[in-house]
Amino acid sequence: MSMAMAGILIAIPASIFVLLALTWKMLPRGGDFLVVLGFLAVWLLGLGIAADFTKYFHEGVFAPNGANAFAFDWINIGDGLFHIQFSTWVDSITVVMIVVVTTVALMVAIYSTGYMRGEERYGWYFAALSLFVTAMLTLVLSGNLLQLYFAWEGVGLASFLLIGFYWERQSAAEAAKKAFITTRVGDVGLLIGIVLLWREAGTFDIQQIIEFAEHGGFNSTYLTVSMLFLFLGAVGKSAQFPLHVWLPDAMEGPTPVSALIHAATMVVAGVYLVARMMPVFDVVPAAREVVLYTGLITAVMAATMGLVSNDIKRVLAFSTVSQLGFMFVALGMGAVGVAMFHLLTHAFFKALLFLGSGSVIHATHEQTVEHLGGLRKKLPITTWTFCIGSLALAGVIPFAGFWSKDEILHTAMHDAPFAYVVLAATAILTAIYTTRVVLLTFWGEPKDHHAYEHAHESGWTMAGPLVFLSILAVFSGFVVFHSVGAALGFPGGILETVYTEEPELFHFDPVFAATAVGMSLAGIGIGFAYWWGDAQRAVRARAWAPELHALLVNRYYIDDLYQGIIDRVVLGLGGIVAAFERHVVNESGVDGGSQLIGWFGMRLKFLQTGRIPNYALAMAVGVVVLAVMAFRSA
Amino acid sequence: MISLNHYLALSGVLFALGFYGVLVRRSAILILIAVELMLAAVSINFVAFASYLDAKLFTGVIFAIFVITIAAAEVGLALGIVLRIYRERSTANVDEASTLKW
Amino acid sequence: MPLPAQLDRTIVTGTIMASAIGLPYIVALSLLGLMGRISGAEVVWWLLAGLILVGAIGSVTSNNVVHAALSLVVAAMGVAGMFLLLASEFLALVQVLVYGGGVAILLLFALMMTNASDDPIVVDGSQKPFGFGVALIMGIVMVSAMVGASWDATITTVVSFRDIGTRLYRDYGVPFEVASLVLLVALVGAIAIARRDTEESDAA
Repeated sequence: MSMAMAGILIAIPASIFVLLALTWKMLPRGGDFLVVLGFLAVWLLGLGIAADFTKYFHEGVFAPNGANAFAFDWINIGDGLFHIQFSTWVDSITVVMIVVVTTVALMVAIYSTGYMRGEERYGWYFAALSLFVTAMLTLVLSGNLLQLYFAWEGVGLASFLLIGFYWERQSAAEAAKKAFITTRVGDVGLLIGIVLLWREAGTFDIQQIIEFAEHGGFNSTYLTVSMLFLFLGAVGKSAQFPLHVWLPDAMEGPTPVSALIHAATMVVAGVYLVARMMPVFDVVPAAREVVLYTGLITAVMAATMGLVSNDIKRVLAFSTVSQLGFMFVALGMGAVGVAMFHLLTHAFFKALLFLGSGSVIHATHEQTVEHLGGLRKKLPITTWTFCIGSLALAGVIPFAGFWSKDEILHTAMHDAPFAYVVLAATAILTAIYTTRVVLLTFWGEPKDHHAYEHAHESGWTMAGPLVFLSILAVFSGFVVFHSVGAALGFPGGILETVYTEEPELFHFDPVFAATAVGMSLAGIGIGFAYWWGDAQRAVRARAWAPELHALLVNRYYIDDLYQGIIDRVVLGLGGIVAAFERHVVNESGVDGGSQLIGWFGMRLKFLQTGRIPNYALAMAVGVVVLAVMAFRSA
Repeated sequence: MISLNHYLALSGVLFALGFYGVLVRRSAILILIAVELMLAAVSINFVAFASYLDAKLFTGVIFAIFVITIAAAEVGLALGIVLRIYRERSTANVDEASTLKW
Repeated sequence: MPLPAQLDRTIVTGTIMASAIGLPYIVALSLLGLMGRISGAEVVWWLLAGLILVGAIGSVTSNNVVHAALSLVVAAMGVAGMFLLLASEFLALVQVLVYGGGVAILLLFALMMTNASDDPIVVDGSQKPFGFGVALIMGIVMVSAMVGASWDATITTVVSFRDIGTRLYRDYGVPFEVASLVLLVALVGAIAIARRDTEESDAA
């Protein structure tokens, strides 16, 4: 029964997208109610699938019986030689993703009806949202890699459309292009990885590939290379170093889009992919190590960059990149359950933070933190929900972020101690920059009085989702407990439901937890010390190390490096190709061909003398030649 | 003994001479004269074959009769055309009839 | 009355050629015939062949158009003689009548109507060398082909008038009628093309 529902889960937003794309100009209110209702239906169906899913556990172990999979042949050449299907596969990872995607999508849709009101292409916005949800759900439900790749591209397309929603603005168009091209680099890697895997395994089906790998069907080096290519796709889509450059710029899109796509759902597609293929990564630990280090570097780099950013959305973007790094570190250690747990909690509190910042932007029409301040008096709901989200991000007990981050640190302490040190430092940085943003935005004296005067709290369409998400940000961490999980119908807490090798029971380590909370509070304290009041300390710190500050503000000059490579290498090669095309193909080939014919014509025209004796001679020569030939052959 | 080959060689030489005349001569009437030579050569050829090889049916002789007939008709008509051209352009020079020239 | 200069030249050229080439040719042939080396028919054949070639060469190389036309007549008479040797008397008759009596006269009339003066005009075209080469090759090819094969045959019967008449009217009756139609059409066509248009408008 769940499988039919899985198909409907994709069909609903797909049909809404088609309908809206064609008719949004004619529908009242651009058809936004269709989208909200559709997402509501999808959310309920998703919860239904999650509830249904519990019956696939036998004595606490996931025992799929084939009813959780569905396959429909599209192309089948040579009886399995080349086989493309539409297939779905539902397991615990899928269920977590479905819950995340549908919940955040619904919240964002409701929020958007308030935030995007009065926009010129209001209906098209919702159409693109539906397209995104369709592609995302297809991605998480995919049973085979080729379908996953199609959906991967689909979410990329939706992201492009939505980042460039305000395409009249040059910066938005550039950002959309940058996002698409950067993820494209990753996508090429993903495709190469998929093809390499298919080449040896003979199938695109994920479960079959996992079985093939576990039985040693792949050559070890070959598999490592393939998985690294696959991971390249994840690096692109999840904005990890070195393909992280697009996410901060993607903030040009509308804020609900940032909440949905660039915080909670699309960027976690890379995490999902690695989690899904984790049994294969386990066969080649070297590739897993690369995942670990990539995540580690990204986490700390992004946290440092978030520290100096002045745009409220950009800080959150760097924060997202950093937290995704945390998830990849967890995956690099093979801890799929931990990574998915952090994915879940992060989705809720990050979406909350983004929507909250959207509320601020909607109220003040200002994004720059240095122009804000003292907004807590004017925007109470926003302020307190934002604070809840920030505490969750900083990892303060009992908020959701604490539980998942603590699990990652715990696993790191046991499996990769040096990673623990780096992550701990990053956690402190996280707390610092979060506090900075909160203090500069909501506390202190307003720095731009014009913005401050006009600020007003948002309506219920925007405040409602904020409140709902803040509840989730508080309570969603508790799913790690066995009792909570069991109460929901699962065999246990989230770590007992989502796993690769075997379920692990969650143990609460008070000492460890106290250390972690202590670090977070220390970070918050530092934040207060520097940015409370008139933030004199921060100003002096900046003056004390201007080069360091410039390095961070310019994002380690990586964007400039890429632009330089593009300008010199890519455009240089392009220039060569263009010159070739212009001179060889066009001028010599095409023009030259016609000119050659003209040249011959100018010379050959003198044969046409118009004089009959000349023509008679020509005929005579022909006859003589024929006669000689005939004579010779005779 | 005069064999068939003698007559054939003669007709060949005569034909070549007429051929030369057609290609080289400038006045239309002189070209017609050369054409007459060629036709005569052909007639000799046919009649020689008929006499030597086809004594019972002598088809070649009949053919030659027709050739002569048509040659005469053709000369008459061609000269009519030449006269007309001469009247229009006051020349019978074929080199001058070159309005198809580039 | 002094002869025109041109006639002078022709007479001189003709006499030189006749004596240099023609006379020895005729004498040689006669001697060979008298000595019995070649038969009488052969002598006649060679004489006639020489006559034809003289006429042909004259008609294609002469600078004087009237001389060219008259040379054609000479060649035509030679051809008529050939027909006699080939035992087709009817054809020889027809050849003399049509060519000598018809075509030649027609050509002469046309020549007179289209020549403004009786000065020699430069009658040879600009492609003389090419034409010469092509005709030479053509001639060589044809003669080689014809001489190369061998037929073992002789002239056996004389083609009688009665036979020709029978064949012509009985077996080739239709082509005969068509030929007469062709003549009619040629006649009408020549008149239509060559007559003056002003007469028509005058009559109207």
